[in-house]
Amino acid sequence: MDPLIVAQTLNFAYAVISLLLVVLGLAVTLGWLGVMNLAHGEFVMLGAYVAVVTERMGWPFWAAIPLTILFCIVLGIVVERLLIRPLYSRPFDLLLATWGLSILIRKIVEAAFGGGYISLTVPVKGSLDILGASYPTYRILIMAFTVALLAMLLAWYFRSSAAARVKAMVGNPMLAQAVGIDTNALARNTFVVGTCLAGLAGVIIAPVTSVNPFLGLDYVINAFFVIIVGGLGSVLGLFAGSGIIGGLDSFVSAILDRTSAFFLVLLIAIFFLWLRPRGLFARN
Amino acid sequence: MVYSRAIDILLIVAVLAVPTVLGDLWAYNLSLVYLYAIATLGVGLCWGQAGFLPLGQGMFLGLAAYMSGLGLIHVAGGVWGWLLVVPVVIVPGVLAFVIGLLIFRGRTESGPFFALITLAMTLLAFQIATAWNSVTGGFNGLRNIPDLAGMSDFTDRYYIAGVALILAVAFCMWLIEAPIGVVWRALSQNERRIAFFGYSTATLKAAAFGAAGLLAGFAGFLYAPQQNLVTPTLAGFVVSANLVIWAAVGGRGSAIGPALGAVLVGVLSTELRDGGGFGGGLDALWDFLARFWEAVVAGFFIIVVLFLPNGIAGLFAKLNASLKRLGRLPFRPILAPPVRTEGAAGPPALALSGCRVAAGEVRILNGLTLRLDRAAIYCLIGPNGAGKTSTFNTLSTELRMQEGEIRLDGEVISGAAADTLAAKGIGRKFQIPSVFPNLTIADNLHVALWGTRARLVSLLRPSLRRWDTPLLATLRERFPFLAQRDRIAGDLSHGERQVLELAMALAAEPRLLLLDEPCAGLSHEDTRQVIDAILWAREELGLTVLLIEHDMSLVREIADHVFVMHQGALLAEGDVAAVQADDKVREVYVGMAS
Repeated sequence: MDPLIVAQTLNFAYAVISLLLVVLGLAVTLGWLGVMNLAHGEFVMLGAYVAVVTERMGWPFWAAIPLTILFCIVLGIVVERLLIRPLYSRPFDLLLATWGLSILIRKIVEAAFGGGYISLTVPVKGSLDILGASYPTYRILIMAFTVALLAMLLAWYFRSSAAARVKAMVGNPMLAQAVGIDTNALARNTFVVGTCLAGLAGVIIAPVTSVNPFLGLDYVINAFFVIIVGGLGSVLGLFAGSGIIGGLDSFVSAILDRTSAFFLVLLIAIFFLWLRPRGLFARN
Repeated sequence: MVYSRAIDILLIVAVLAVPTVLGDLWAYNLSLVYLYAIATLGVGLCWGQAGFLPLGQGMFLGLAAYMSGLGLIHVAGGVWGWLLVVPVVIVPGVLAFVIGLLIFRGRTESGPFFALITLAMTLLAFQIATAWNSVTGGFNGLRNIPDLAGMSDFTDRYYIAGVALILAVAFCMWLIEAPIGVVWRALSQNERRIAFFGYSTATLKAAAFGAAGLLAGFAGFLYAPQQNLVTPTLAGFVVSANLVIWAAVGGRGSAIGPALGAVLVGVLSTELRDGGGFGGGLDALWDFLARFWEAVVAGFFIIVVLFLPNGIAGLFAKLNASLKRLGRLPFRPILAPPVRTEGAAGPPALALSGCRVAAGEVRILNGLTLRLDRAAIYCLIGPNGAGKTSTFNTLSTELRMQEGEIRLDGEVISGAAADTLAAKGIGRKFQIPSVFPNLTIADNLHVALWGTRARLVSLLRPSLRRWDTPLLATLRERFPFLAQRDRIAGDLSHGERQVLELAMALAAEPRLLLLDEPCAGLSHEDTRQVIDAILWAREELGLTVLLIEHDMSLVREIADHVFVMHQGALLAEGDVAAVQADDKVREVYVGMAS
C-alpha cells in the first residue's frame, strides 16, 4: 500500500481517537450525569501539569498516571461537594459556576507555572513501521491507550449495575433514593470518574502538545461539539461525533488551514444545536 | 415611586460628577467601563427578565464596533458621523431578533442549548473578524478610527459615555416596568402557561434578544471612536463571558444591577492594576490581590452564583421595594379594549373526530369523538386513565395525534400551537394551579388580560398596566383577595391559587374554556364559590366550558351535558340522568368498584 495513504489514514485515526480521549470524561459527566461542567478542559489541563511536575521532580513519566488519578480523586470530590451538588437543580447556575471555576484554575496555574508553553520529553521515542509508513510509537500508544480506556469504560457501563443506578438517579433522584440508592455518593463517584478520565487524557497528551494554561480550552470546545453532534448517552454517538468533528478538523486543516477547519466545525455545531439538539443517535 | 426616583437622580448626579470630583484618570478608565456596562444591560434583560442566557453578546458588540469604525473611516466623519448611530444600533438589534426568532421558533424551552448556540456564534464571529483581513484589519484590528465630533478629549468622552449609560439604564427601566417586562418575567417562570394566554413565546424571547442587540449596538457605536481601535477580541468569547459575569455579580434581575456589576468589577480591576495600595501594613494583601486579580474575580463570581442569585443589587432589593411602596401613586384603572377574536362570534363549535394518540404500546386516545356546539357546561368524566387530561393535551397539541381531526367552527385546528388556540378563543386552566409565583396578583391578571387583547408592540406602553375590565371587577367582588394587587402569587394559599388561575382563565375572555378539575384540593366553601363563578360565567359571558371533574355531586349540579370516557374513547353522552341510567357506564363504574 502507498505509505502516504497509510500515513494519512493514521493521522486521521489519530485525530479522531485523541479527540475521543478527551471526550470520554465529558461523556461520563455530561452524558451520564447531565452535568455541564465547563471546567472539564481545565481538568485535562491540570492532568498535563501533573506530567510537567513529574518530569521536573525527575520521576519517570509513567509515575504521572497514578499521581493524576490521586490528584483527580481529591479534586473531583472537592468540586462535586462544593460546587456541583448545590447546583444540580439549577443548570444555568451550574454552567456559570463551573465557568468561574475554569477561570480560577487557569489563573492559579498561570500564577504558579507562568503563562508560557512547556514542552515535555516524549516518554517513548522512535517510530514503528506500519505497512511501509513510519509512524511515531507514542502516538500509536495513545491510540491503544484510548481504545483500552474506552473498553474498560464500556465494560463498566454494561456489566456493572452502576450505570443503571446512575440512570435511575438522573431520571428520578427522589425515587432512586427511595429504593436505596445513595444518590450523593453515586453522583460524587460518577463525577470523580469523569474527572479522572479528564486528568488521564491530560497526562497522555502532555508530551505531544505544548502545555499551557489554555490547553484545556482548545480541546474541550471540540469535545463539547462531539457530544452535541453525537448526542448524549450513546456510545455510537461518541464515535460518530468524534469521527465527524475530529475527522473534519484534521481533513480540512490538511487541505486548507486550521482557521477554515475550526470555522466548519463551528458551523456544524451551530447546525446541530439549532436543528438537531439531541444529536445524531440520541434515544428518546 | 417618589423616593426611588430620588435615588435615580442621586446616581445620575454621581455619574456626572466623576471628572470634577475624581479627576481625569478616573474619567478615562470609567468611560470604557460604561460602554461595557451598556452591553451588560442587554445580558441582564435576556437572562434576568426573559430567563435565557446569551453567551454571545460580544458578537453584537463587535459587529457594531466594526460597523461604527468602518463607517467613521470610510463613510462619514465629524458631525455627520453621529448619524451612523441609526444603522449601527439597528442592524445588531434586528440581527439578534431574527437569530432569536429562528432559534426559538418551535420550542418551548430555554435550556442551555440557546446559550451554547450563541457561544458557538461568538467564536465564529471572532474567527470571521480575524480572518477577514481586507475589511476588519485582521488580528491587529481596525486602527486610527477618527473621533466623533465632540469626542476629542477624555472629559468629553467620559460625559458622552456617562450620558449613554444613563440613557441605556433608563431604556431598561422602561422595558422592565412596561407590560413586556411583566410578560418576560412570567415567561421565565412558566413558558408553557404563557403560550396558553395567546403569546408567541418565540417572538417574546426574540424581542428580548433583539433589545439586547440594540444595547450592544449602542455600546459598539461609541466604542470605536472612543478607543480609536477595534480588535477581534471584542467580538469574541472572553468579552461575552465577562459581560455575563458582570451581569451576575451586579444582579441580573434589576434594571441597574448589570451596569452596577460592570462598573464595580471594572473599577476594582483598574484600581488594583494602577492604584497605589491600601497603605500601612496591608500592602502585601494589595500585592496579592493585584497579582491574582482575575482569580479573585472568578472566585467572587462563583460565590455570587452559589449564594447570591440576585447579585449585589439583590442585597438592596428589599430597601428599593419599600421605597417604591412609600411613594406609590394611586391605581387609576382604564377600561381595556375588547378581546381580538378571530373567527365567528357566538358559541364555538368544537368537534373531535376519531382521535387516536399512542405512546409506544400504550393507547392513550382510541378513536375519541366529541362534539360541543352550544354555550353550556360540558363535563368530561371517566375512571382514572380514561384519557381525560390527555384529551386536553391533544387539543393543545402537547400530545401528537396519529389519526383523527379537530375542528373549531368547521376549521381544522389539529396541530395548531397553544398561542394560536388562545387567539381563536380557547382558554385553559391546568389541573395543578400554574400561576406565576414571582408576580403580584395584579400582574398575573394583567398577563391574562393582555394575551388576547394587546399586540406585541403595544406591550411597550406602560398604560396597559392600568387596564381593567368589568369582568375583573365582578371577580374581585366574588373573591375579595383578588383586589390585593401587590400580593405575590407565590404567597397565596392553594385555594387562592386555584381561584386566581380561574380568574386569569376567565379574564382572557375565551369562548371555550377547558377546566381541568378546578375544584381539586379546595375546601367546601371555596368549591361552592368556584362553582358559582363558573355558572355565572356561563350565564353572563355565554361561555362554553369543557370541564374534567371527578366529584359526581358537582357534575350533577353544573353539567348541562356529560361525556363519559373509558379507555380513550367516548363511552356514553347525554344529560346527567341519561348517563347515570346507562348500563355501560354503570358497568364501568361499578365494575371498577367491585
